[in-house]
Amino acid sequence: MRMRSVPALAGIAALSLMATACGGGDGSEEGDGSQEGSLVIWSDPERSEAIQAAAEEFAETNGIEVDVQNVSFDDIQGDVVNAHQAGNAPDLFLGAHDWVGNLMRNGAVQPIELPSDRAEQLDETAVEAMSLDGQLLGVPYAQENIFLMRNTEMAPDAPETFEELVETGTELKDEGEVDEVLAMAVDQEGDPFRMNPFMRSAGGYLFGQNDEGEWNPDDLGVGSDETIEAMERIAEYGEEGEGVLRRSIDVENDAPLFFEGDTAFFVAGPWNLADANASDVDFEISAIPGFEDGEPASPYLGYQSFYVSEGGANSALAEEFVVNHVTDPEFVLDLYEADPRTPVQSEALESVSEEDPNIAAIADAAEHGVAMPNIPEMGETWEPLGVAQAQIISGEDAREAMENAHEQIAERIGQ
Amino acid sequence: MATDNTRPAGTPSDGRPARPPLPGGRFAARGSLTGTLVKLTLLGLFTALGIWAVLPLYVAGNWWGIALTVAVVALVYWVYLSGRTVPAKYLVPGVALLMAFQILPVLYTMSTSLTNMSDGHRGTKEQAIASIEAFSVVRTDDSEEYTLTVATTGDPETGELVFLLTDEEGQAYAGDADGLEELTGATVDSTGKVSEAFGYTLLSPNEINARSDELQEFAVPTGEGSGIRSSGLSSAFEGTALRTYDADCDCVEDNETGTVYTADDDRGAFYDEDGERLAQGWQVGVGFDNFLRFLVNPTFATAFFGTLVWNIAFAASVTFLVFVLGLAVAMALHTPRMRGKVAYRILVVLPYAMSSLAMYLLWRDMFNTDFGLFNRMLGLEVDWLGDPWAARAAVILANVWLGYPYMFLVATGALQAIPRELSQAAHLDGAGPWQAFRHVTLPLLMVAMTPILISTFAFNFNNFNAVWLLTQGGPFTSEGTMAGGATDLLITYTYRLAFSEATAQYGYAAAMSVMIFVIVSVMSVVSLRRSKALQEVDR
Amino acid sequence: MTADTLDTVARPVHRRTTGTRFALWARRLGWRHAVMLVVVAFAVFPVLFVVSAALNPLGTLSSSQLWPTGASFDNARALFDSTPFATWYTNSLFFAVTNAAVTVLLSALAAYAFSRMRFKGRRVGLIGLLVIQMFPQFLAIVAIYLMFSDLGELYPAIGFDTRWGLLLVYLGGALSINTWLMKGFFDTVPKELDESAQMDGATHAQVFFRIMLPLVTPVLAIVALLVFINTINEFLLASVFLRDTDAQTLGLGLHQLVDSQRNANFGMFAVGAIMLSLPTLAVFWFLQRYISEGLTSGAVKG
Repeated sequence: MRMRSVPALAGIAALSLMATACGGGDGSEEGDGSQEGSLVIWSDPERSEAIQAAAEEFAETNGIEVDVQNVSFDDIQGDVVNAHQAGNAPDLFLGAHDWVGNLMRNGAVQPIELPSDRAEQLDETAVEAMSLDGQLLGVPYAQENIFLMRNTEMAPDAPETFEELVETGTELKDEGEVDEVLAMAVDQEGDPFRMNPFMRSAGGYLFGQNDEGEWNPDDLGVGSDETIEAMERIAEYGEEGEGVLRRSIDVENDAPLFFEGDTAFFVAGPWNLADANASDVDFEISAIPGFEDGEPASPYLGYQSFYVSEGGANSALAEEFVVNHVTDPEFVLDLYEADPRTPVQSEALESVSEEDPNIAAIADAAEHGVAMPNIPEMGETWEPLGVAQAQIISGEDAREAMENAHEQIAERIGQ
Repeated sequence: MATDNTRPAGTPSDGRPARPPLPGGRFAARGSLTGTLVKLTLLGLFTALGIWAVLPLYVAGNWWGIALTVAVVALVYWVYLSGRTVPAKYLVPGVALLMAFQILPVLYTMSTSLTNMSDGHRGTKEQAIASIEAFSVVRTDDSEEYTLTVATTGDPETGELVFLLTDEEGQAYAGDADGLEELTGATVDSTGKVSEAFGYTLLSPNEINARSDELQEFAVPTGEGSGIRSSGLSSAFEGTALRTYDADCDCVEDNETGTVYTADDDRGAFYDEDGERLAQGWQVGVGFDNFLRFLVNPTFATAFFGTLVWNIAFAASVTFLVFVLGLAVAMALHTPRMRGKVAYRILVVLPYAMSSLAMYLLWRDMFNTDFGLFNRMLGLEVDWLGDPWAARAAVILANVWLGYPYMFLVATGALQAIPRELSQAAHLDGAGPWQAFRHVTLPLLMVAMTPILISTFAFNFNNFNAVWLLTQGGPFTSEGTMAGGATDLLITYTYRLAFSEATAQYGYAAAMSVMIFVIVSVMSVVSLRRSKALQEVDR
Repeated sequence: MTADTLDTVARPVHRRTTGTRFALWARRLGWRHAVMLVVVAFAVFPVLFVVSAALNPLGTLSSSQLWPTGASFDNARALFDSTPFATWYTNSLFFAVTNAAVTVLLSALAAYAFSRMRFKGRRVGLIGLLVIQMFPQFLAIVAIYLMFSDLGELYPAIGFDTRWGLLLVYLGGALSINTWLMKGFFDTVPKELDESAQMDGATHAQVFFRIMLPLVTPVLAIVALLVFINTINEFLLASVFLRDTDAQTLGLGLHQLVDSQRNANFGMFAVGAIMLSLPTLAVFWFLQRYISEGLTSGAVKG
């Protein structure tokens, strides 16, 4: 028996308990959230250092400290809303443009008014995407869209149509050069974000738009004949058809397939650029090709933006930051250095495009893109639509799947 | 610890048959000097903690808080100084923490099941109104854009705020809460900012920032409902609030379209005649609506039953399999001399030591139809995550892998408590090892293991990650996700219903969780009652 | 549990054959090795892929090939360079060790009361401990958040971004199924032991610290290990409490690395996951002797 060690263990525990009990005096900092004198910004860990560095100048000019805190990107929106409810939201946070609807109805952000000379410098679509009911809810700084990446050794020319892509890819596959025609993440539960260009090219649509380009949630197109026909056309390339699109390809294995030379074509995003540059593959970027005689394959455009929380203790400087600093080409370029994404500030975009042909190509690939709808109803579509699309790819009846998805979305958005 | 312990420990419940004398009854009257000192020190520290807790409450004038703190401190003194409270001396620290940080949050969450708390319905009505008005301020068409310099006529910290504004022609104005007037004799720099003006103190960015709250409210009135507001530190614009709240009719009027949105305090939002609502709502009590909402939903009723059956089957089979595997490993290693025992132990515990997040992602990948390890290695073409039964098997297999080391650890501990002599005695009586295990070891083991098994069952019953990270509840039938997926647990089904990417419906989710909580608690308590474990408890 | 299924556990023992040394070995130890080799293979193979991902410069977590396309320490370097790894590691260890130590103490105290004393509310308390854990935790997060927003205003020392605040929430779970586990073990210690100590004039506190605790070392070690593992891998509550980069834990940092699928870096994640498992294994290695050798047979007779 080890009599001695146990009292020792208990002793340690008791000590820790005492330490806990009288632990007030270790000089712990104040809690998080916004506090006067320190501008708190929430960012995903990937960009936090870059933002911290790029905000230094602002901090010095205005005599304030900038404190960039890590929150994983997918958690920022929910955490901000919770924190706002509890009264300790950050002063500023980074977010996607399609959060505006939810942030607005929770009153969690503050509307922004940009002076016209600042607004003119920003991409018009980006500003529109950040606006709801005529209010600008945040200031965009970068654009993201998916594109086609191809291995130039295997496929020297960019395919004009999807049919051409499949033809080239199938030849390569038959020759045994590659295992897969195309690496596009379909995923077991579907990926409507990546499927959208194809669905639109084949004539389908998700929400209708009015003449001014505003999304109309009352015109849900998921179960429409056009969309069903579009999905039927896409299904020809699915698992029961040519086998180009398969559920087994997902966001975890799509990039390795391409970088290891197992496929010549890859539906990629800016987030793959760093790995692409590090790999041995010679690649080029072009627009996602649409179907022959079809509409253009419009990828969704996403905008990364800075939001100002409502009721923050430093709202004056937070506003100043988004109005005059986020719109400043210097700041955008500093951020670009650390995290390459297409800038929406025109001067910054010009200088980046000259330097980096890939960024220019990504911007070109976005030519027919549409901003991802920012209405709150959009969030209700992803999952039902994804599941339906995955089922169609697996060979199930398109009409039944899409009509069920339509019904489910309509119920959720209260139609 | 206790020095004055002359009374029986605890009070036996009334109406129970007589029991052997209680252990506490014969405890010595005096403890050691060290014990007394330790006890006094801890009580002293606790008192200090109490004082530390009271001070900020006193400053904030929170008398309820102070009363609560004093009550807790008094309770602790009573428990540790009285001789009647021996069990409480052992229970108070843990139970207090449990109450504060587990039970209280759970009760709060349960109470939200009676509200409409969700995105768009989080705050109070006042907050919603403030937000509606703030979001309706639009820039007046073709209005002037001003370059702004924030100043004051008095002290930088408290003096009245004044906007020194320069229009595009370079004309300077001074605007305060009374209105706008021309400013003469001000020096304007190249950016358009006023750099000097007689009678005004210009504020530094820091000074302005310190008055952020005031600035939010501040506007230089220019007409009916419109005013000049700041945008950042150096620009200002004229804006008009399009929507205004009228307390008399408890409604919001849109000044542009003339639409009137009337407050509906049952639903917590402003609605117009056509039933269109304003996005910003507030939290209201809705009674049992959240419960009714799924009880009367026919899709839910059918999906619920199927999901419940699979949920029970999943939790039961995972619990059973991890128990068998964990116990097998524990038995195999339960021997005094065995080469490589430590190495074996560490290797079998590996799955438990690895981050489960990483392992779920990896298991999902191993089940991939075309690229996954299983199909490749075994030459199969099973659609692991797409076929209902294969997906169920996959989910169970992955969770057995993740869960058995826990059972191994617990079973190892339980085996230590069983004297080896018992099975040796059985052996001498002519019983085979299997019989010895079956009739001697296992029954003794089960007494200690039953609560663990029940808890494992309950854990797996609600094991959200186990399913979400592997299959997200899928595969689904062509009826879509509402009908429930083949591997859906009640908790994943609930999550999907209540939390989409756009909307978090806490009230609804809480209501469903309360239902699930009741189901799993009843099942657990019933199985506990039928087992020997509770007889032990009652003994 | 039915006997049929447990049959598999004991079957290798059944054949009593000749007295050769090998047969004896096979009967006494051989089956044990056989079982262990199978289980070890099952336990280890997925872990190998994590190691492979950690070495693979491509930054993917994939089971399609065990051998990485190139072995390098790029991921490890990236993790150490781009994150305050040492700080995170220290924080993780702080929470895991402190929570494990205090939980063991609190839980043992409660288990002693539940095992040795009879009082009103004992049965309700025990069942309540089991039941309270069945409420899904992720829903209660909002409540905890609101609660600590208020608490943090009054007491900055236990507010967000502090260790003590999060530790308090962790300790809210100190009494749990672990208390049952301990109680079960306490029950097996014969009452005669503490009764005779009392005869000799020991107080209940002396009985607890001097007699009981040493006798239940295995279960203390097991609970310590279980709490240690759960705490070091916890990220849900931590993500609510810890925003400040320097206050975060490794578990939380890793979660953030893969949470956003688009930018997920599985290579760095895999390195972190392995690093995180090392202290767990070290603690287990240290504690395992107490787990199995704490009781020599004969010390306690029923």
